[in-house]
Amino acid sequence: MEPGKEGLAPPSWRKQEEGKGDKPYGVLAYLEMLETQAHQEAVEQEKREQQKEKLAMLKARVRKLRLQRDKLREKVDLQEKQQPGKEGVVPDPAHPIAPRDVVEWRIRNLQALLQLFYLTGISGKPTRRGVCFSLSTAYEGTYLDSYHLELCTNPQVQILRHSIPVFIPLEQISKKYLQTDIRRFLSLLSDHLNAYAGRRHQAEQLEEHFSDQIEGALQRNSLYNLLIFNYNIPRNAQTFPFQARLLYGDPCCSLPTEVTVSCTPDAPASLVETAASHSEMFRCVALHKAFQSFNPLDVTS
Amino acid sequence: MEKNICQVYEAEIQALEEEIKVLTEKYEEIQQEYTSFSDEEILKSIKLFQREILGENKGYKSPSNLIFQLENLETDLLFLMKFTGFQFTSHSKKTLERTGNRTVQKNRLSGKCHSLSFQLEFQLTKMQENVSSVITDLKIMMESEEGSDVSKFVSRAEECRSLLKFFRSISSYAEWHEHRRNTFLHFK
Repeated sequence: MEPGKEGLAPPSWRKQEEGKGDKPYGVLAYLEMLETQAHQEAVEQEKREQQKEKLAMLKARVRKLRLQRDKLREKVDLQEKQQPGKEGVVPDPAHPIAPRDVVEWRIRNLQALLQLFYLTGISGKPTRRGVCFSLSTAYEGTYLDSYHLELCTNPQVQILRHSIPVFIPLEQISKKYLQTDIRRFLSLLSDHLNAYAGRRHQAEQLEEHFSDQIEGALQRNSLYNLLIFNYNIPRNAQTFPFQARLLYGDPCCSLPTEVTVSCTPDAPASLVETAASHSEMFRCVALHKAFQSFNPLDVTS
Repeated sequence: MEKNICQVYEAEIQALEEEIKVLTEKYEEIQQEYTSFSDEEILKSIKLFQREILGENKGYKSPSNLIFQLENLETDLLFLMKFTGFQFTSHSKKTLERTGNRTVQKNRLSGKCHSLSFQLEFQLTKMQENVSSVITDLKIMMESEEGSDVSKFVSRAEECRSLLKFFRSISSYAEWHEHRRNTFLHFK
């Protein structure tokens, strides 16, 4: 049924009409149709008005934002023209800096300084119950995961909550130092965590950049201090003649203490020699960097 | 037809909001870098500001949460400096590059750990808002004798850009140094 057409009853209704043969049913249906029509028109009218309102609102917002943006642009241009000297912005007696701006400046200044502590490896914040420490880890210049510890200081120093992985000997280290020397406790924990993060990073870099030289996946434990894998050089060779086993005996070190690189029994002497030199290399060079040196033409990040 | 106009407006609003955000950050950063206030100026401003809000507090929620925030930050910083022994005496940062997810900032930092002073310059590349940061280019300036332990870990740190390792090393070295000095004084 189409509203807006002249009030002609559609054929189906006429049929009804015919069936009943009484005029009153026809009229009611007709009135109903008119009502529905009017209702729909009202709904459409409201929609159109809402749309108009929305459009007007959007237009006003655009105008307001444009103004804000233009003002900011002016401010920044003025700043660039001023080119403050070494002593900093020369205070203009005509436009003294509002106390609120100084306070906000100091807040931002403090926030930046606090963020720097994250880069130092040990950061923290006093809480109601004690202190919440954050230990960050990094491998060379790349910052990796950070771990948290909430300590309460009354009546004794206790660990309330932490995100230290279960394979790090937290209990052992706490038993030794938590009550007597918190700094030493955190420092030692940081060493463990950084070494673990470093070992994991090397293994992940190896898998990411040299997966085609490794047979399958690296076999390792959660602490990443035992790695076993078969590999080849150069790339895309069909077999993996070398088997490497790296044991990282020192949990605070990211280089292995024991390395065995062996060859398949029928391997030629040259390969055996290579295996021996690799063995030496893995002991003193990071794993992914060692592989990088096997492929001097490749560039890894 | 109207839907299209709506979309055009909405797109412009988004672009403007983004631009405003970038401009504000740029303005605040330059303002932050080139202004500096002495401790007395800061204290004076805090007092003036507090008086201002007391004056204009007419029942609505006063912005004294700024003072609250400031005091919290001061307490947190004081705690960390006392606990770790690290004091940062000056810090400046400048955004060299900002594209999409990536921000590259040049940082200059001077400070000391207990009695050992240092000056650092490094470039910090942040991806996706601090999810991962990478140090590229690290320069460390520290007074030390040739071949001493300090000069050794300084050159090693510079080579590998291990900023964190540098901080950890200087922290343990400074503590040991401090301990040694105290022991020496004790026996004097």
